[in-house]
Amino acid sequence: MEEKQPVLELENVSVAYDSEAGMVQAVNNVSLKVYENTIVGLIGESGSGKSTLGNTIMHLMKNNAVLTSCTIKVMGQDIYRLNKKDLRKFRWSQMSMVFQSAMNALNPVLTIEDQILDVFFSHDKNISRKEANRRAVELMDIVSIDSVHLKSYPHELSGGMRQRIVIAIAIALDPKLVIMDEPTTALDVVVQRSILDKIKEIQKVKKFAILFISHDFSLVTELASKVAIMYAGRFIEITDSHSLSQSERHHPYTQGLIKAIPHLTSEDVTIEGIPGNPPNLVELPSGCAYHPRCPHAFDLCMRERPETRLVENREIECHLYETVEK
Amino acid sequence: MKQQTTLVEVENLVIKFPVRGGDRKKKFITPVDYVSLEIKKGEVLALVGESGSGKTTIGRALVRLLKPTEGNIIVDGKNVNTIKGKDLMNYRKVAQMIFQDPFGSLNPVKSIESHLKFPLKKHQGFKGLALDQKITDLLLQVGLTPVNEIRKKHPHELSGGQRQRLAIARALAVNPQFIVADEPTSMLDVSIRAGILQLMNELKRDLGLSYLYITHDLASARYFGDRIMVLYGGKVMEIADSKALIKNPINPYTKLLLSATPGSDIKVNLKDMNNEAPDLSEGRKGCPFVHRCPLATDICKETMPDLVEQKENHFVACHHAEDSIEKMIFN
Ligand SMILES: Nc1ncnc2c1ncn2[C@@H]1O[C@H](COP(=O)(O)OP(=O)(O)O)[C@@H](O)[C@H]1O
Ligand SMILES: Nc1ncnc2c1ncn2[C@@H]1O[C@H](COP(=O)(O)OP(=O)(O)O)[C@@H](O)[C@H]1O
Ligand SMILES: [Mg+2]
Ligand SMILES: [Mg+2]
Repeated sequence: MEEKQPVLELENVSVAYDSEAGMVQAVNNVSLKVYENTIVGLIGESGSGKSTLGNTIMHLMKNNAVLTSCTIKVMGQDIYRLNKKDLRKFRWSQMSMVFQSAMNALNPVLTIEDQILDVFFSHDKNISRKEANRRAVELMDIVSIDSVHLKSYPHELSGGMRQRIVIAIAIALDPKLVIMDEPTTALDVVVQRSILDKIKEIQKVKKFAILFISHDFSLVTELASKVAIMYAGRFIEITDSHSLSQSERHHPYTQGLIKAIPHLTSEDVTIEGIPGNPPNLVELPSGCAYHPRCPHAFDLCMRERPETRLVENREIECHLYETVEK
Repeated sequence: MKQQTTLVEVENLVIKFPVRGGDRKKKFITPVDYVSLEIKKGEVLALVGESGSGKTTIGRALVRLLKPTEGNIIVDGKNVNTIKGKDLMNYRKVAQMIFQDPFGSLNPVKSIESHLKFPLKKHQGFKGLALDQKITDLLLQVGLTPVNEIRKKHPHELSGGQRQRLAIARALAVNPQFIVADEPTSMLDVSIRAGILQLMNELKRDLGLSYLYITHDLASARYFGDRIMVLYGGKVMEIADSKALIKNPINPYTKLLLSATPGSDIKVNLKDMNNEAPDLSEGRKGCPFVHRCPLATDICKETMPDLVEQKENHFVACHHAEDSIEKMIFN
């Protein structure tokens, strides 16, 4: 059987920031495949490297970021082999991103219409004003905002509406991959839920792939079918999201997260914190970066970084589990 | 399990703030509008609601960082509504507040131990060796170890979770009976939050503390709260035992809030929901949820419903509570 081509393929991606304190190892050798018509979640605490990875996939890194040898392919195309012009075309039309806090970064002096039309005009010199307008109205309809708001300025809209606009802009050119970086984090739960429902609805119709970045464990496991859990720049586990309702046979950090989160309805209402704090990425602990906080750590964990092993179809980086051939 | 003595009793609390009106006339909002509540000794009342619903304002009034416009706040039998000067100082020994951002309430140039020294000396009269011992005890109690290292540090050298622990230790330094915790974990990393909630739970158990626990997260409200009170647009919509409220919500707003929370059994189609913020202007009429409520009728626009006991210890403000109990609305 021929394997489907992934929409997104990451192979050994590492990104470091050159900072005064030293090299910040923000993303550390991660690999992942995302297929069409799926939602993959990326969970991690703040500072674990999620946004860095998203920005790197978009080829929009900060000046002091250093990307080491690796492959990032979107629709089979190596992003880092495109010239500037082709990259600009590729971005937004094949892959797009809803940036963290983007709803607060809409241009305050331009109307919503101007900002949406800009996406069309910058990618297609030949598109007519009329056609662009028609598509702008259609986009507003897709995200359920009355098209009278095309004439509004960002400050005239609520946070939830601005976030819908940002999503509309990201999907304007029908990309195959949409990266969403904490798209609902600053919003109230009801608004958050209506946006998530909207994202799901659009995704079902358009069938693009989503890499959904969030620190909210319950939310990601509900939305995504597959989840990558990031700790100190590494994917310590990649698993089916439904497996996360049980804490057995996971990475100890995943287990810690599962036990740390109070559940709304389960009978068992005990929770348990994870001791210690996330590590400093300039001076990562030796071996497995989680060992100082891990209740199961033994001497090997301090010495050697564990390789990925397959545990019931979960890719887990942990010495507790037998190494099985992938 | 629960003791029956009331520690905090709030009657018809109203808080009014001036806002600039469009026509330069002075206008007011009342983000807290005739709110009544009761917290027993050793009880946690969780206060939930979306941002802007008035949660922090209620919290600040209860510890008397704010003076109420109307109503009564009776704590441990004393009306603290209008106290000032020495009485207010004494009240600080009874009620303390923990904030969302612990850094904002800490002094960057003071060491950890001096944050505790001041209240211990001033409010409890500790000095010398006893003071030293008490600082050690407090740091141990909130899990700030190793104590001898931590004492000499400064707030910026602590992690977010440790700072919140320090804020808790400082609140405990006056030996209070009542703590208002205003979203104490919302700025912390997921792996750190549970530890803070566990700590507050231990303190409740060991010291018999009462809490007003403010949060927008219903799951943590259920974990820590004995009862949950739901606020919307400055009004109490529903109060009940935590489990009952999560399992059998009655007010349509509570149902909406629950359906939006991950892990809830209630599923609602919110796709084209009206997300308009509630009106907070002074003298507003009717139920604040009327614009969004699928059960709304004319009476809801005119009069705010009273809180009525629909089931045992389950109070609901809704003209259509009986309908709402029977119907799965929002479908
Ligand atoms: N421009 C930068 N220079 C130096 N360090 C950075 C820069 N941007 C991010 N970092 C650091 O890289 C790490 C990962 O950051 P980020 O990718 O934003 O994490 P997340 O999105 O998971 O919160 C953090 O430790 C952060 O402080
Ligand atoms: N000192 C103040 N002056 C004027 N308005 C205020 C003041 N404090 C709060 N408000 C307003 O009162 C409303 C309720 O605020 P708050 O109690 O902070 O809500 P919550 O904590 O539920 O988010 C908001 O509209 C807020 O802008
Ligand atoms: Mg980020
Ligand atoms: Mg608040």
